[in-house]
Amino acid sequence: MAGIVTWQFRHLLAIGTPLLILIAAYLFYFVDQTVATSMCANAWFFAVPLVLGALTGVIGERSGVVNIGIEGQMLTAAFASFFTAAATKSLVAGVAAGILAGVAMGAFLAWTTVTARMDQIIAGVAINIVATGITSFFYKSGAQLPVNMPQWNVPVLSKIPLIGETFFQTGPIALFALLIAPVLHFAMFRTRWGLRTRAIGEYPSAADTAGINVNRMRFVNVVLAGILAGAAGTYLSMEATSSFSRGMTAGRGFLALAIMIFGAWRPLRVVAAALFFGFANALASQLQGVVDIPQQFVTLLPYVLTLAVLAIAAGRVRAPAAEGVPFIKGEGQ
Amino acid sequence: MRSKFVLSAPVFVLALGLAGCGGSTGGAGSGATPTDCSSSETFCVGLVTDGSKIDDKSFNQAAWAGVQKAKDSLGAYVRYIEPAEAKDYAASIKQFTDQKYDVVITVGFLTADPTVAAAAQNPGTKFIGVDQLLDTEKVKSPNLTGLTFPADQAGYAVGYLAGLLTKTGKVGAINGLEIPPVQKYFKGYEAGAKASNPKVEVVGVYHPAGGQPFNDPVWGAGEAKKQLSQGVDVIFGIGSNTGNGALNEVAKSSGAGTTRFCIGVDVDQWGTLPEARPCLVTSAEKLISDGVAELLGQAGDGTLKGGNFLGKTGISQFHDFDDKIPADVKAKVEDVVKKLADGSLQTNVVL
Amino acid sequence: MVPLVALAAAFSVGALLIRSQGVNPAYAYESLFSYALLDGSGLTATLQKVVPLVLCGLAVAIPLRLGLFNIGGQGQFMVGAIGAAAAAYALRSAPGIVTIIVTMVVGVLAGSMWASIAGLLKAARGVHEVISTIMLNSVAGGLIDWMLNGPLADEQVPYPASHAVPGSAQLPPIGVVPIGLPVAVTLAVATAWLLRRTTIGFRFETVGRNRYAASYAGISIRTTTVVAMGIAGGCAGLSGGIELVGVEPYRYQDGIAASLGFDGITIALLARGNPIGTIPAALLVAAMRAGAPHLALDTGLRPEIVDMVLAITLLFVSLPLVVKLIFRKHAAKGSQLASSWGA
Repeated sequence: MAGIVTWQFRHLLAIGTPLLILIAAYLFYFVDQTVATSMCANAWFFAVPLVLGALTGVIGERSGVVNIGIEGQMLTAAFASFFTAAATKSLVAGVAAGILAGVAMGAFLAWTTVTARMDQIIAGVAINIVATGITSFFYKSGAQLPVNMPQWNVPVLSKIPLIGETFFQTGPIALFALLIAPVLHFAMFRTRWGLRTRAIGEYPSAADTAGINVNRMRFVNVVLAGILAGAAGTYLSMEATSSFSRGMTAGRGFLALAIMIFGAWRPLRVVAAALFFGFANALASQLQGVVDIPQQFVTLLPYVLTLAVLAIAAGRVRAPAAEGVPFIKGEGQ
Repeated sequence: MRSKFVLSAPVFVLALGLAGCGGSTGGAGSGATPTDCSSSETFCVGLVTDGSKIDDKSFNQAAWAGVQKAKDSLGAYVRYIEPAEAKDYAASIKQFTDQKYDVVITVGFLTADPTVAAAAQNPGTKFIGVDQLLDTEKVKSPNLTGLTFPADQAGYAVGYLAGLLTKTGKVGAINGLEIPPVQKYFKGYEAGAKASNPKVEVVGVYHPAGGQPFNDPVWGAGEAKKQLSQGVDVIFGIGSNTGNGALNEVAKSSGAGTTRFCIGVDVDQWGTLPEARPCLVTSAEKLISDGVAELLGQAGDGTLKGGNFLGKTGISQFHDFDDKIPADVKAKVEDVVKKLADGSLQTNVVL
Repeated sequence: MVPLVALAAAFSVGALLIRSQGVNPAYAYESLFSYALLDGSGLTATLQKVVPLVLCGLAVAIPLRLGLFNIGGQGQFMVGAIGAAAAAYALRSAPGIVTIIVTMVVGVLAGSMWASIAGLLKAARGVHEVISTIMLNSVAGGLIDWMLNGPLADEQVPYPASHAVPGSAQLPPIGVVPIGLPVAVTLAVATAWLLRRTTIGFRFETVGRNRYAASYAGISIRTTTVVAMGIAGGCAGLSGGIELVGVEPYRYQDGIAASLGFDGITIALLARGNPIGTIPAALLVAAMRAGAPHLALDTGLRPEIVDMVLAITLLFVSLPLVVKLIFRKHAAKGSQLASSWGA
């Protein structure tokens, strides 16, 4: 009996929370249309790289590989995409190069941690340092994108008040981020691939017994996740801006890690967490100079709010059990 | 243990071999001719950045351009150092003073303290502190010149232009960290806009502290996007790469250059930030390279005096917008610039 | 042995890179290290960097023992330094020695408190330490920015900065040795002792290896978590305090923390979590960083080259496969530092 009540309660939460947020957003919209729209659009603009970065982490960790090199993956991708696009005068080549760079860094992480069984945290830190080194060492100023990335208005959907302007009047990578999250959510929890991925992250020896090649699957997943990190980096240098500057990720890769955990390793919750962060950020800059408290306190808001929410909600979220541990066949786990 | 060492020995040998195979070709590296700066014939100029890179499209780059400008006329030997962190400023300056450089230029207010200290210890070397206002009560070294700029005047001038350009009655600014060099520009901008258009609304936002306030172009772009959709139609980007991100966003938006405009900062960003050209009407300039070159020229002929030196500010050319801005607007702005320069107009900016 | 081989290998790769830029690698390395270790002011710069690197390395290495990943060294350092700055200003008319002692204590306590917030959130509410320390870094940045513009601002300085430590409490290097060096070295040794020879160390170790066994044995995981974070924060905070009284300009201003918190991660990993190992690791990183500007001036190479070499070193140090290739035997199985984020 209690079980059913809990079940109902959980589903009520899962549907009720987004609904409440939506209602609140539209209430706000009716109070001040321009401010609400611009703040929501700003929130999503800010959230896109965080969503993509955090999803990179989700795929890795669900398969049992901790990835703290997301910052480095993003930075390399931002560098590669921008300079390739500038050199070849082709946006497509640029985006491809960015994604390839993300994949290459993912492959590197996979090789060191899965194949060579190196400590995963060290591998991630090394990726970050290497990325900073390479991108500043080879950086040359003066390059320029041939044209700007297109801005798309999705037919019909972009006409919806508030939501349309927030999510459907954007560039291709932002749209990709919006699409990939539910797809990944479905894949993770409703497909064979997802089941296997979760199995190798939770209980690899059981998965192995069931005939899954644990290390190969981990390898492939980490490499594939690189696509998302690559897209995140490309977004930074080609879509959100049209320039590359040294260290332009500005800690977003680490923030993405926090959002991954905040989102409890679930793709849709990751989107919600990233949006929350983006909105808090938009609120902070909107309130600057309006409320009569020091500007710094307002800008602290998102960080303090996140801590408070986590402390109060204290969803005892649990990391995948086997993450961080290399799988060696025949050695328990 | 012994066997391990034997096994690893080839690696060392390889390392040494690789290192050695350079021979004399690499020799002193690229252009590191051991110039003797202690002799009176060679005029040596060293520049220490504030931790940003020499190609930062802003301050350091402009100061270095000033050095380059003076290089030929003085026949000088010039080098620069990019310290990695604040702790390294003093050691970086010392590298130049140890080699008896004739002039050492330090860039940015963060390097002010070590510059003052070094000037006191090396009376034979001339020091130029860019953007460093000296407290002449305390600092009396005759070999130290602080080069500062009335940024509020440049801000006022572009603000005046913004007030005339806006159709929506709302102008904005995306700022780096809330520190005096940035505030001066912004408050000048605010005052200028209000002067030309009393009904104008000026909105400005500062980057949150922590992180990289001057190197977060994505944040700048996001804030610019927000201001644009809230009806702002002129945006002033103050704060290195963060501001550049904002200008970039305006340039990409629809109506860039016709209904929406952006204004650059520190240097003429028409040259340093070509991606902003679609909207870039002008830039609020600190004439850094001119100031540096002028002071270096004085150092060269021995007339450089210690103390504070007030450089010039101005607004850049309108470039492609020259024929798009109405003549009466241009005339009014020119008038304001002139009055600011001769002191008949005060910005009344207080920090 | 492994680190030395890794170092040699990394320097070989670095040599190739330097060569590709048209500079003689032998000359470049000589220039880098002769300035960083043999030149008077270069050596001071190196040793001055060693101190915070060792301490921030310890701030990462200690919690790593029980599987906690402290990304918050940055914030803890900053809070320690600003606490020390406030204390030094409050005691500006007290005798120097009193100011120094109180300043250090305040620095340690402030850093420790800041890290304990993450420890407490973890222990009491299960909030993940990676999130909380990342958030706390940003919160520290904002609060300190406000203090530097408000309550702690030195009005004489035209940019945000705290008041300088009074002259009697400033501790410039003695010769080439910065005052913090013996402190940092002693602390590294003491930490090694603490982890190996005391009950606290035993508790850390047990919780790190198997938290269920630990709690079955009556070790409180919550207390251990808070204590470990507290000690780690104390190290980072002390580092901030030392930086304030021992390094010019003896005041808190932007950039004082540089990227120390993150460098601490590198150090802890290079040292493979071993407290004593942080000393050579810090010396290597410090020498390369201190020598980099000189290298750039001397050869025209970009100073970032040292970061590349460091990253490759880190990789080679920790890549079991490399070890295996070299020694033709099984790689050490115990190369895992943090088994997981810890649930």
